[in-house]
Amino acid sequence: MSITSAEVAADFKDALQDLKTNSRPEISNLTIIAKENTEHAQAISGELEKHIRTTRPDWKLPALYVLDSIVKNVGTPYTVYLGRNLYRTFMDAYMVMDPANRRAMDGLLKTWKQPVPDSMDTRPVFAPEVTRDIENTLIKIRTHTVQAQQTLPQRPHGLPPRPTANPMANGPWRNTPTPPQGHPRFAVPNDPRLRQNVAQPNPYGSPAPHQFTTPTPQPFPMGPPLGELESVQADVAQLIASLAPSDMKRQSLLDLQTLLNNQSLPNVPPLTSQQLQAIRAQIQALTPSPAPAMPQYAPPVPNLPQPFLQTPPQNAPPSFPPAGAALNLAQILAAAQARPVVPQSSTPVNAPPAVNLADILRQVSVPAQSSTTTAAMPFFPPPSFPPVPPPVVQPTPPPAPTPTNNLAQLLASLPKPASAQAPQPPSLPLGLPTGGPATATPDWLLNALKGLPQSASGAAFPPQVPASSTPMARQASGATNTTERVEMTSASLKQPRFHLINKLYGARPNVCATCGRRFASTPEGKERKARHLDWHFDVRDSTANRSGVHRSWYIDEREWIDYKDFDESSPPDAAQSTESAAAPKEDPKEKYVRVPSDISKRVPCPICQEKFDTNVRWHQAANDFVWMDAVEIKGRIYHATCWEEFQKGASIPAPTTPDSVLGKRKAERDSPASGKKIRAF
Amino acid sequence: MSLPGLNLATTPSQTQVTAAPTSAHKQELAANTEYRFEASFTHPLTIKLLSGTAEIFGSELGPLTPYTFRGTKAAVYTWNGCSLEIEGTAESEYVAEETTMMNYANAHFALEGMRDEAAKNNDSGPRVLIVGPENSGKTSLAKVLTSYALKMDRQPMVVNLDPREGMLSPPGSFSAAALSSILDVEKGWGSSPISGPSPVPVKMPIVYHYGMSSPEEGKLFKPLVTRMALAVTSRLEKDVASRHAGFIIDTSGAISHGKGGIYENIDHIIAEFSVNLVFVLGSERLNSDLTRKYANRKEEPVVVIKLDKSGGCVDRDEAYMKKLRQSQIKSYFFGDGGENVLYPTLTFADFTDLNIFQIQQASNDTSAFRPGDDDDEDVYGSRPIYEKMTPTTLLQNTLLAVTTASPNDRQDVIRDSSIKGYIFIAEVDEAKQKLRVLSPQPGRMPSNAMVMGSFPEDVPGLLE
Repeated sequence: MSITSAEVAADFKDALQDLKTNSRPEISNLTIIAKENTEHAQAISGELEKHIRTTRPDWKLPALYVLDSIVKNVGTPYTVYLGRNLYRTFMDAYMVMDPANRRAMDGLLKTWKQPVPDSMDTRPVFAPEVTRDIENTLIKIRTHTVQAQQTLPQRPHGLPPRPTANPMANGPWRNTPTPPQGHPRFAVPNDPRLRQNVAQPNPYGSPAPHQFTTPTPQPFPMGPPLGELESVQADVAQLIASLAPSDMKRQSLLDLQTLLNNQSLPNVPPLTSQQLQAIRAQIQALTPSPAPAMPQYAPPVPNLPQPFLQTPPQNAPPSFPPAGAALNLAQILAAAQARPVVPQSSTPVNAPPAVNLADILRQVSVPAQSSTTTAAMPFFPPPSFPPVPPPVVQPTPPPAPTPTNNLAQLLASLPKPASAQAPQPPSLPLGLPTGGPATATPDWLLNALKGLPQSASGAAFPPQVPASSTPMARQASGATNTTERVEMTSASLKQPRFHLINKLYGARPNVCATCGRRFASTPEGKERKARHLDWHFDVRDSTANRSGVHRSWYIDEREWIDYKDFDESSPPDAAQSTESAAAPKEDPKEKYVRVPSDISKRVPCPICQEKFDTNVRWHQAANDFVWMDAVEIKGRIYHATCWEEFQKGASIPAPTTPDSVLGKRKAERDSPASGKKIRAF
Repeated sequence: MSLPGLNLATTPSQTQVTAAPTSAHKQELAANTEYRFEASFTHPLTIKLLSGTAEIFGSELGPLTPYTFRGTKAAVYTWNGCSLEIEGTAESEYVAEETTMMNYANAHFALEGMRDEAAKNNDSGPRVLIVGPENSGKTSLAKVLTSYALKMDRQPMVVNLDPREGMLSPPGSFSAAALSSILDVEKGWGSSPISGPSPVPVKMPIVYHYGMSSPEEGKLFKPLVTRMALAVTSRLEKDVASRHAGFIIDTSGAISHGKGGIYENIDHIIAEFSVNLVFVLGSERLNSDLTRKYANRKEEPVVVIKLDKSGGCVDRDEAYMKKLRQSQIKSYFFGDGGENVLYPTLTFADFTDLNIFQIQQASNDTSAFRPGDDDDEDVYGSRPIYEKMTPTTLLQNTLLAVTTASPNDRQDVIRDSSIKGYIFIAEVDEAKQKLRVLSPQPGRMPSNAMVMGSFPEDVPGLLE
């Protein structure tokens, strides 16, 4: 082979560039290239991953199909190379897809968990470890979606009175200035909704500078509405991704990420909204400035809690300074981390002057340039990427005063020029996450913040906006979901509720040693258990005498309809009354005759010719086996019911038709628990 | 060495006793895991709970009680961790950490909420239908839900509409029963009444004969579902405890395949039983089809919920199913071996004693049956359901359902009648016009109409 990997990869890349639709010939062509150049698999895989990462969202799916086709038709070594980064490749693409494409991706993932169709190999396409991570994340996304939808309408926490919501806004998120960074929303530059959003005039005429029109969550049925926590997480993740692994800041950012990720765990005191915003402010201050002609943007790390990230539960952050004071990232980190973080002097976190909330707020009221609207979507494909048509709104990143300051310092502290890696324009912090305070001047918010309790306990909800408290609302709803009532929805049924299992086990501690049946430890439970044990005893006592035991006929329809199942542990009502034979209105069913010890006398009933064996039962009072529903008349034993009918002069009914059976056994309706004759034990 | 004659009998049994423990091993299970096993029909597997708690399809194992399994594919699940002693060789066994039990337990607690509601308003409880393709764990789910309901002192009704596997009756039948005590850990549901004591409380089913393997063939399915629904509904009118607990319908995988997204038989069951909750197992498509059809229905909405299919579901091939059927038939007549031996009666009967009706294989029958129209003369008139037959050697080794109808009844009456039980034709002597018949119960051969279907198939070795 004379050609180098680079050449092959370049060829492959060229072919990939042309793939814009789900076209079978093109995909199979690419697959063939991959198949014929397995020795360059690494380069090809890399190229493919890069393409999926960088191409515009609506071309990602065909590229994923190429990946799918290659791993299924070629297999190793591609499965190995592509499997390594599959999580990122898949999730990055997933985050920017629209719902229809997401479904297609779900379908893809499904097939990856299975063996290749018509293949001898029974192993799944990708190793289960690889697909499981993706799947877990997808489940989280869906759960969040569902939960978010559930929490949306009900606002459980009692918020202090706040300025009335913007009447023009349909929902709490309308016009929310919080830019959920990394939201897939603006991924498609031609998205008509985008234009709409851009065109929407700010009703208040004083849009904050450098704020981005925030996508409202409604248009995204599939995507979780990104709460504040998520957006901060996304920011952090992105920043981490943009930093070199060796960078010192990275470590502290990772710590921060852990802290944020832990927010989704139970037992971790939630960060308040201000804390989140303070963090965000710092993060955004850290975020390098945009590179105008950036060849690529750093792929975002999915902004979801990492499923397998295990960290010990964090201690509750100690009380924070009152709003208005500088809340800085290092403080939060230091407070929340049990172990010492990287020495502060060396953390870039400290490099910029602590961005404080008040500063941010002051900037909020500065009028915005109209051009900034959508500029800074972090996951936005870089405009310089060849296939991307010019975005509707040209991103013009106007550096804001403070960030510029910060940026300058940050840049100074960064070894490499930021433009080399900086993925995004400076997304300016925005203290005001809401539609409600759109009228807000910084004063309003500052006043509101002053009213806040000083401690950062999770109970204190910031009086800000529903949107900003989404993470907490979600947690609150999570807590209510664990109460007794289990909702009959597929999502609700998936949540673990181990405490409920106690109802099946612990609540009934009194176990029958023979069969494992459980009884409550109440007096009633004890009584039931006693009867249950009696039943066991009776059965065991009489199993010795089992000769001639046979299957009984099933009862017929009418009998069954009238039948009442009885539980051997339930209180005996009329059933076992031994006096019934002497009772004034005697029930022929309750009459019995001891089973004759003389075998010759064990003959069928002379009237109906049915044997009495069907009706053997242990009789407590007689302390012997008896034939129920039997009477002895002049030395011969008849069915009591037959005899009664006979005495009445009624014709003896054929025992088989439903009617006659009903007539014969009518009496049982009145003593439901007496048990069928066959049901004696 | 030893006294001659004395140890003749004891020696073999001793070796057996010593041989057995060598294969016994201890199996520790962590909380929320399950031990999945397949026991063959020939080599039983015995499981004993040493400590902790464990359950098989929701039925708790008694402490230190040995349970023996033959021809069983099941799983011992533990919520709290347990230690098991396992004796014998399993065809396959492993411990699974990912199970669907939390999903199912949640479903149970959601049902409990509905039952509480029903008890409060003296209304009827959840009416559940379980659907899904073959081997997706429908019957297991039904057992789990039933067992848990029993644990909470409910008295749920269970309806089995899967002829491939009988419930409290041989395969080929449909049955329903209200359950009030515990299920049988070893045999799944338990046993229908026998004339003597039973170590596990017997259940009282109502049984209809279907006589074919799939609900999709022939035209008996819908009328029988209608009839069954009528019986169950009437029963629930009077039986308050069961009414509050509601019922659970287990179905055959065949009805979940549908034709072009139309599930005629599922629709029929939902309509006849007024089902208000459908659990779908293992079929995304079925779930979506049913959701589309029922979830947004204005009147009588039906909630459609997809539950996880357990990873423990194994495909049961036809050979296994056949063996399972034969063992179900065998235990109908002979009990389950061990202490639970039953003694059926082998008698002779004249050809004229039996009134046998053979189900007409109505292939390509497209005439739609109109449910609820039991007296529709068209159905009966246009095409007979049964054909009266005189015994031939074809009858040998077949099961006949003994109905509660008289041979002179109209055919649709015979069709709709529940059955008393089954008899087995051991031998046909055409020359002498005699039959050797195995009947579960001694006494005269019932003169009722008897129905012969094509399913379950012959059981040649029953009397061996």
